[in-house]
Amino acid sequence: MPQLRKDPVTKRWVIIIHEGEKGPKDFPKIPQQKKSGKCPFCSGGEANTPPEVMSYRQSNTLPNEPGWQVRVIPNKFPALKIEGDLDRTGIGIYDMMNGIGAHEVIIESPDHDGGFDIYSRDQVYKIISAYCDRYRDLKRDRRFRYILLFKNSGMAAGASIDHPHSQLIATPIIPKRVMEEVEGARQYYYYKERCVFCDIIRQELSSGSRIIHENENFVAFSPFAARFPFETWIAPKDHKASFGDIEDNEIESFADILRELLQRLIKALDNPPFNYIIHTSPCDEHCAEYYHWHLEIMPRLTKIAGFEWGSGFYVNPVPPESASKYLLQASTLLHKDDS
Amino acid sequence: MPQLRKDPVLKQWVIISPERGRRPNDFRVENVPVQDAVGCPFCEGNEKITPPETMAFRKSGTEANQPGWWVRIIPDRNPILVPTGDAGREGIGMFDAMNAIGTHEVVIEAPLHHQTLQSVSLDQVKEVIWAYKQRLLDIKKNPRFKHFLIVKNSGSGVSNFTHAHSHIVATPIIPKRIEEEIDGAREYFHYHDRCIYCDIIRQELEQPVRIVHQDALFVVFCPFASRFPFEMLITPKVHQPFFENSDIDHVHGFANALQIALKKMQVLLANLPYNFILHTSPCSDSYRDFFHWHLEIIPKMTQVAGFEWGSGFYINSSTPEDSARLLREAKI
Repeated sequence: MPQLRKDPVTKRWVIIIHEGEKGPKDFPKIPQQKKSGKCPFCSGGEANTPPEVMSYRQSNTLPNEPGWQVRVIPNKFPALKIEGDLDRTGIGIYDMMNGIGAHEVIIESPDHDGGFDIYSRDQVYKIISAYCDRYRDLKRDRRFRYILLFKNSGMAAGASIDHPHSQLIATPIIPKRVMEEVEGARQYYYYKERCVFCDIIRQELSSGSRIIHENENFVAFSPFAARFPFETWIAPKDHKASFGDIEDNEIESFADILRELLQRLIKALDNPPFNYIIHTSPCDEHCAEYYHWHLEIMPRLTKIAGFEWGSGFYVNPVPPESASKYLLQASTLLHKDDS
Repeated sequence: MPQLRKDPVLKQWVIISPERGRRPNDFRVENVPVQDAVGCPFCEGNEKITPPETMAFRKSGTEANQPGWWVRIIPDRNPILVPTGDAGREGIGMFDAMNAIGTHEVVIEAPLHHQTLQSVSLDQVKEVIWAYKQRLLDIKKNPRFKHFLIVKNSGSGVSNFTHAHSHIVATPIIPKRIEEEIDGAREYFHYHDRCIYCDIIRQELEQPVRIVHQDALFVVFCPFASRFPFEMLITPKVHQPFFENSDIDHVHGFANALQIALKKMQVLLANLPYNFILHTSPCSDSYRDFFHWHLEIIPKMTQVAGFEWGSGFYINSSTPEDSARLLREAKI
């Protein structure tokens, strides 16, 4: 019997298929064609990108020269432009404004063939630190209501460039899905005076059936109403609304758990295309008490059909309890390098 | 300058960023390998290898599950919802779950393997729409179902079968996106005492820059805040909450508008995969003032990336006005 499960935050129902449920090997492998060699994101290609916004680099090297470990540049083809006014207007029933925002690329490594399966601890730590620095900096711009950090890995996940990178988009509006989460969390808070995410984390930790990994500050689990096979969330154990509030020691444990989890996913699903997104509180919303930042990872194993598009009602052929089991087992295959 | 546009019903903002845009030719898919007709369970003559039909339009004198039909509806072999059993509502700590009770049926749109909604006669499309309507009216008698979706996934990748078909899904809950449409439409109605879709249609007809096609009963247009290039909406001009209550003129008018929209899309985009989904009012009568049935057509040309998934904030690489103009000019 397939089951319907409701996401407690967004109130979205998901169909979980139990019979003939699928395992990691049941999804067709999407070939990841990588063009190797040099690209503008490689060390030495700096002159072919827009000038960098920031970088972590060896002390005696200059900006826009080789010698960096993580480099942040404006997107050459930005979805939103940084200069100008919002110019909000109404046209009859419709509302519009100029597409003002920031669109940056975080180049995760000078190595074209890098990736979370081979990054060192220190490299991931630097990537997360760069996220954090850019987040805090852009948050000061009053035009922006939301800052979205995300990664598309693999063509099927929407990546157009092979060289490993993440992106940041600062938007003048609060995106719809974020607003839904904020709304859902607000309602729960008014009812119970507790953060819904804190309650989810508490229940997940006590039941344990969907937990994949935890460390001192963070927990990784398959959400109860996962929309996608092997969807996974990482959340801070202590209540924190904004990703920008992360403390230095937490950056390290966040980098560790993200690396651990992605290594397991890459192992268990044989290098799948995936997206991850950091969900954080909107810049000016007063939701510190009830919003709780987290990261959502979505492997792209199935094609989304019209049913899901048109209804917002997802069908997931892998129960989250099975997904977390597969990901737990994958850990034994990992070689534990640096500690 | 890219532009932000807000969907008036869903309150969803979309980035219209034509600088990133490409021409329709960049999206064309010429050669979709058509799956062999041999052994296709949807072909006429293979009725025995499908679950028994729930309804069919067939020549008088022919029997159920035999050849002689022109539209045939069967239960899906791997249903995402099943028709029998308890609702099984339960709370698991803070979580809510229930059994997935519903129906999931397949409408086989034509008896021959290579036929499509674009290639068949208008009469055949009318028959398909009649079949949707009749089947919905029948399924609707079951009080456990709250909502119905009619969905088509056409083209490679999205669907398992190349034989033309669509799905009817009855759900025990109102799906999230429909719920959002209802909320947006209800709020507008409470404020203005008018249906928001009627107002949208009125404004689109006054300034026909996004209109693809219209006749006395139906209008086809690219929505102001389209999420995807060449996204289209087909809706009756006069307020109607329930598709399944359409009269004969509206059934025929809808078939005509749908076929025109699909043919125009094919002229521009060749065999690009697409989806359509019909949004009709949930079964209850309480939405009748402000819900207005419509069909959304979405060509699957762009890879939806993490940004869109995570935020519900879409980047559309072409303006709806350009899409509408190209579709309007497409000769069929």
